[in-house]
Amino acid sequence: MKKPGLSKARPVFRLWLILFLACGLAAMADDRPVRYDLKVELIPETATLQGKETIVWTNRTADYIPDIQFHLYWNAFKNERSTLAQEASREKIISRYRAKKDEWGWIKLVSLSTDSGLDLMPAATFISPDEPHNPDDQTVLRVELPEPLAPGQSITLNLEFQAKVPGSGLRTGHYRDGFFIAQWFPKPGVYEEGRGWNCHEYHLNSEFYADFADYRVEITVPERMVVGASGEEVARRDDPASGKTTYTYVQQNIHDFAWTASPRFVKLERWFRGEEEVTPEEYRQMAELLGLSPQELKLPDVKMILLIEKQHQNQAERHFRALRAALKYYGLWYGPYPYRTITMVDPPYRTGSGGMEYPTLFTAGTSVLLEKDVLSPEQVIIHEFGHGYWYGLVANNEFEEAWLDEGINTYSTGRVSEVAYGPGRLPFRFSGLPLSWLIKFPAVYDWQLGRVVSATVAELDPIVTASWKFFNSMSYSLNVYYRAATCLHTLERLLGEQTWARVMRTYHMRYRFRHPKTEDFIRVVNEVSGQDLTWFFKEFFFNANNFDYAIGSVETRLKPEKYQGVFDSLPTGQASSPPAGVQEKTARKKEKIYETVITLRRLGPARPGPGYGLKLRVDFEDGSSEWREWDGQDRWVRFYFEKPARVKTAVLDPEAIWLVDSNFSNNSYSSQGPGARLLTATVKLVWFLQHLLLTFSGLL
Amino acid sequence: MSLQTYLNPGLNRTITRFRLSVYIWLILLVLALLALAPINSLLRNSLGHFYLPDKPVMPFELNLAEVFLANQEILSPYVGFLLTLMLLTGLIFTFLSAGLFGRMLSPDPVVTLREFLSDGARHFWKFFLSLLVFLPFLAVLLILFRLLTAPLNLWSSRAVTEWPVIISANLRMLVLILLWTAFKLFLDLTRIIMISESKKVIPAYVSALRFLKRHFFRFWGLYLLLGLAVIIISAFWFFIMRLIPSGAGPGVLAFIFLGQIYIIFRVLARQVFIGVEYAYYLRQKGE
Repeated sequence: MKKPGLSKARPVFRLWLILFLACGLAAMADDRPVRYDLKVELIPETATLQGKETIVWTNRTADYIPDIQFHLYWNAFKNERSTLAQEASREKIISRYRAKKDEWGWIKLVSLSTDSGLDLMPAATFISPDEPHNPDDQTVLRVELPEPLAPGQSITLNLEFQAKVPGSGLRTGHYRDGFFIAQWFPKPGVYEEGRGWNCHEYHLNSEFYADFADYRVEITVPERMVVGASGEEVARRDDPASGKTTYTYVQQNIHDFAWTASPRFVKLERWFRGEEEVTPEEYRQMAELLGLSPQELKLPDVKMILLIEKQHQNQAERHFRALRAALKYYGLWYGPYPYRTITMVDPPYRTGSGGMEYPTLFTAGTSVLLEKDVLSPEQVIIHEFGHGYWYGLVANNEFEEAWLDEGINTYSTGRVSEVAYGPGRLPFRFSGLPLSWLIKFPAVYDWQLGRVVSATVAELDPIVTASWKFFNSMSYSLNVYYRAATCLHTLERLLGEQTWARVMRTYHMRYRFRHPKTEDFIRVVNEVSGQDLTWFFKEFFFNANNFDYAIGSVETRLKPEKYQGVFDSLPTGQASSPPAGVQEKTARKKEKIYETVITLRRLGPARPGPGYGLKLRVDFEDGSSEWREWDGQDRWVRFYFEKPARVKTAVLDPEAIWLVDSNFSNNSYSSQGPGARLLTATVKLVWFLQHLLLTFSGLL
Repeated sequence: MSLQTYLNPGLNRTITRFRLSVYIWLILLVLALLALAPINSLLRNSLGHFYLPDKPVMPFELNLAEVFLANQEILSPYVGFLLTLMLLTGLIFTFLSAGLFGRMLSPDPVVTLREFLSDGARHFWKFFLSLLVFLPFLAVLLILFRLLTAPLNLWSSRAVTEWPVIISANLRMLVLILLWTAFKLFLDLTRIIMISESKKVIPAYVSALRFLKRHFFRFWGLYLLLGLAVIIISAFWFFIMRLIPSGAGPGVLAFIFLGQIYIIFRVLARQVFIGVEYAYYLRQKGE
């Protein structure tokens, strides 16, 4: 719908926006070390790829570089001896990957030469750069260059490769004639000046890291296949003789390229129109929050492409609605989406490729049986699109600091879901049928659930840990996703909405198309907030410290009307002064006074930093309230109150600032307790146990 | 012969022996409270004075989850305790089953706790042995299950959409339930024969097999019809229970009342099954 007053200005804004984005992208072009030109043919019958690749790699550092290291990710699926397979076999209960017979995948370099024809294959060796070394792993290939590459010098490499698409593996795979192709081509790692190649083996609990590049990719598939890919489709060539079609995709300034092909896709397109999706009032409010002008926040138009399986086609509009919300809020809060297209894929059935992100393309995943108030597939759509921002644009090293995309994006996903949808019910299923059809599960916000589950790993590993060094997959997942997000929610509440919004926008816009580290994020937080929050990151990101404050005890007693003992003078409030050394009765008071002692305790090692603390609010039966503050440094503190009423409730951190507190249940006191709710929970448990025992007895 | 021929005697037998369901319900309640005791203690200590405002920071269910997660170290011993209790319950319910069958099949409709317990004691050993002898039949059940569901597994493994997987998973569940009902019927019949004809375990199994050879499908059909009735009533019950608001005082009372009525209903249903099976056996045996 057209908004009044904007129709004349719209073309000008659009032109300005396009110019801005084009200039931005173009300005980045000279900084990019890599260009890819790929041609690949998919042979569905054998599930193989035949590929040709031309890489132009430029040394943008001051170092002389003697070699190039490549990722050959699919060799992680080659056998049981790869690093990934070995790590997976050590996961006892749940593993995101299990090596299966007949589903192996691999990638093999057939030839590698320079533009001048020099054969580099003899100089190529597999290496294992991570500890512990695994000589059987073949996911990192080192190629010694004939001469070290000087600063500013480029080299053009021509590669031919063959690859076998793994079965339903990890993030990539095929099932029958549905294919999802990711991490499929030889890709150089990232060279870091003064430090060398950052090119890790493919680990179970890690994702990816690469340089921004321009891509031009030709994909040849049987004509019956519907194809989706990163970037924009610029050409299509049909060859009736061979029954094949070649699609050409191009995209500047991305650091990965994925694609998919299946005959069962339905391809749908919609447009996200910035001026229709966001009202002037929303622009104005956001501008005020961020301290920017509304014009700076204008969102561009984006073509939304959806490849959805026919069995899920009736859910297409649910998919688009979620993507619109994501484009809108990520754009308003962090910065406009800089590409012209976004491709959303309902992954081919049983390819193991759902819920994953690639620049300008992501996979979601849904089910034929949906529930109305369960935010699935919405949350996964928002989350995976969001990775286009956190990882796609702000391209942290996912191997070494996964929280910078997963944690920040989990936080962002929760915020978008909250604003666009409200709380969602938990998605439990049994035998493929939604249990919510029978049982009314509670509706929760992402951050509520996240803080509860992440408390279980508070003392296991620091959030900032290299992905493959976490204790296990659960520690990795809960730490980098949920605990990191919980910490960010806490930081938001400590700093306030406005400061936090500015922190996040500054961080995103400053580090777009760059590779930031945790220290960069901390620097931005300190700079924008004007405070030193380094202690926060030290406490919660670099250490595994549990933050748990509690109300230890609440004691109330009637203040005695008289005190026994020998007094030099009467206690305060006495009516008359007796002679010294004589026991005296006090005058009977008309009003009862209650003495209340509240003890607060610090149960974990984590503490607030300088200038921060916790608040205590105490409500009394006469309707009055008192507040106290505690810096939380000692192990305990006591507060004393004298009031003509008993204490009714006491709440530590009543504003719920410290979401990182691992146990909210000990943060409050009520003279009456939760009453009916606890009784209901107990009654339901009894009832459930009766049924369990009765069912068991029925077997006898 | 109509359904009424077996249903009426079965229902009458159940109604006249209604007290049995009350005894069993009470024992179940005690066992459940015993099973809950450690958890209840944990909940009371953790949440007994918890303040729940009108707009809490998070749903109360998450507070419960938080308590459990914060006290994970007790969950492992608790599971051990629960498993031990289940084993003990197994023995108790074998005893109660013996008492239930004993009183249901007794010509004397008067039921007292003393007679119920002495029937349990009298037939306990036979019931325990009948369970042990039943184990090989369970192995047969599993083999039959795998044979019958093999086509479903094949269909599911070749699926290119979700529907075959969902349908076959639920059909497998149905096959398992149907097979189980057939084998349970066999076990029930054996016990009926053991008590009504004072036979030992193996001869009772043989008699039961002979009977089922002639009457299996009709008998099983009757059993399934009763089961369907129980499911329909249960579905209706669950629908009513979902309407009860949580947290409010009257809501808790309604939940307790209706919830316990449903438990008694399940025990009564068991009695009806035994009564109808016995009526059918007597009638068909006589022919």
